[in-house]
Amino acid sequence: MNQTRYLCLSGPNLNLLGDRDISIYQHGSLDNIHTHLQQRAADLGEAIDCLQFNHEGDLIDAIQEATKTYAGIIINAGALAHYSYSLRSAIGSCMLPCVEVFISNVHGREEFRHESVLASVCWGVIGGLGKNSYLLALDALHHHTNMR
Amino acid sequence: MKDTIAIVHGPNLNMLGLREISIYGGESMQDVNDMIAATAAKLDIKVEFFQSNFEGELVTFIQQCRGRVKGVVLNAGAHTHYSIALRDAITAAQVDVMEVHISNIFKRESFRHVSVIGPVCVGQICGFGSYGYILGLKGLLAERLPAWQ
Repeated sequence: MNQTRYLCLSGPNLNLLGDRDISIYQHGSLDNIHTHLQQRAADLGEAIDCLQFNHEGDLIDAIQEATKTYAGIIINAGALAHYSYSLRSAIGSCMLPCVEVFISNVHGREEFRHESVLASVCWGVIGGLGKNSYLLALDALHHHTNMR
Repeated sequence: MKDTIAIVHGPNLNMLGLREISIYGGESMQDVNDMIAATAAKLDIKVEFFQSNFEGELVTFIQQCRGRVKGVVLNAGAHTHYSIALRDAITAAQVDVMEVHISNIFKRESFRHVSVIGPVCVGQICGFGSYGYILGLKGLLAERLPAWQ
């Protein structure tokens, strides 16, 4: 059997992680998170590809393509989480378990960040734990894959 | 001394396995607690369990966590959506609380989309069935668990 692979997608402005408001987003870059994820996936005997796009359409293309290659998706859509119905439709039709992650605790921030239009088409949501939100999402997908 | 994590279940979670199985799964609360205890043993931490259908008992228990436990995994059940008293208890307890839900609350009625305790918790995990409690436990211990067992 082929090695299990997951896809981690990050949306707009997450390429600036570590440069942005570090009181909210903590220290550490997106590359640093990706390195941790890949290390953890390797420890599990699995693999994860990590991509970041500022363009909504690129995220949609990646999700539409994902079913061919991946067993699950971790997505931090950034601000798109709060209004991108086209991203929601892509997730809703991709048939893969999708975990939405947030680095910050969105409930402690502005009101417009409290609602995610993606959450209801995702398998689950993890927020508030910095890079560990991503690592727990990988743990959840690994659990899901191995429970089947 | 081992770190202690408190696992707190709110109203109706004592009915797990008996109520709305399509939403909450077929495991009983005892099954879930046994799974958590087995993970805690592997992680070499102590866990204690508390369930109550009474808001005031939950408030008192959370208050008493102050200075006593390292963190709390809290599934406050429906109290999540309206108990300001529980929220104030979390703030007063000055302890890391991880909010956990078995179901994906965002797939359900709109009154479940709002968490009044969310802003004072360290994080929120929902939708992973009973495994969400394990994720919550690991989330509270993450900095100590480089190996992520």
